[in-house]
Amino acid sequence: MATIHGCNLPEDLFYNIEKHVWAKPLDGGVVRVGMTSVAGKLAGGKLNAVTVKAKNIGQEIKQAKSLATVESSKFVGPVPIPVSGVVLRANDKLAADPNLAVSDPYGEGWIADIQPTAWEAEQSALVSGADGVAKYRAKLEAENIRCA
Amino acid sequence: MADDQVMIVMTSGPDTPHRCATPFFFATLAASMDYDVTMFFTIDGTLLLKKGVADTVYPKPGAKPVGDFLRDALDAGVKMLACTASTELNDIALEDLIPEVKMVGGATMWQLAEECKTVLTF
Repeated sequence: MATIHGCNLPEDLFYNIEKHVWAKPLDGGVVRVGMTSVAGKLAGGKLNAVTVKAKNIGQEIKQAKSLATVESSKFVGPVPIPVSGVVLRANDKLAADPNLAVSDPYGEGWIADIQPTAWEAEQSALVSGADGVAKYRAKLEAENIRCA
Repeated sequence: MADDQVMIVMTSGPDTPHRCATPFFFATLAASMDYDVTMFFTIDGTLLLKKGVADTVYPKPGAKPVGDFLRDALDAGVKMLACTASTELNDIALEDLIPEVKMVGGATMWQLAEECKTVLTF
């Protein structure tokens, strides 16, 4: 796990750095999705809610459309889905404790598991590995964002 | 499939500042959920669309002015319509309103209500 300007950014994830979301391939072709540590910082660090629309479960969401919404006293906005996919399940723990998405964004604070419908084509729009983290670092520095 | 349409009818204005930010917040939230969102302003709500007014209304002392919530909603793609009858009610001219607002008759509100999945009124 790399720490860039106080922001944790694991190298094994696929990132949409513009939208501060991550994707992690799991077994069986399923991909887990969440928001990055940077998203938590930009939302003000204390969330009131992270909500996946119940109607979305079982439905395909196209890349960049809204998978979930994040609400804090500073910010309200969408969590765009990083790649198109059918939403298999949302993380129930976020209903009770939305701040898991801030305190443990890559672990207990995951947002949804999806079955991608175009992973091979769409994952090229994401960045990953040491190179991906370097690109994220460039964005943080360009926008003067620090997590700590 | 097109996004579901929703509408917020905003009747509250500067006389009840406490009530003025949340409707914009709900509009921004709906836009974040990929709804096609319209805010329809009438009665006192139209006063918030007068240039400069929303920045002078605070839902809570020390909090962001309503203008910030209004701009967040516009940035999120929320459409804003104002009822022509309410401009007469409040003695406002079209030029007094922020440019992002479209003036429509009351019949438009009924048409939109029919097309929308959900209508909220504040």
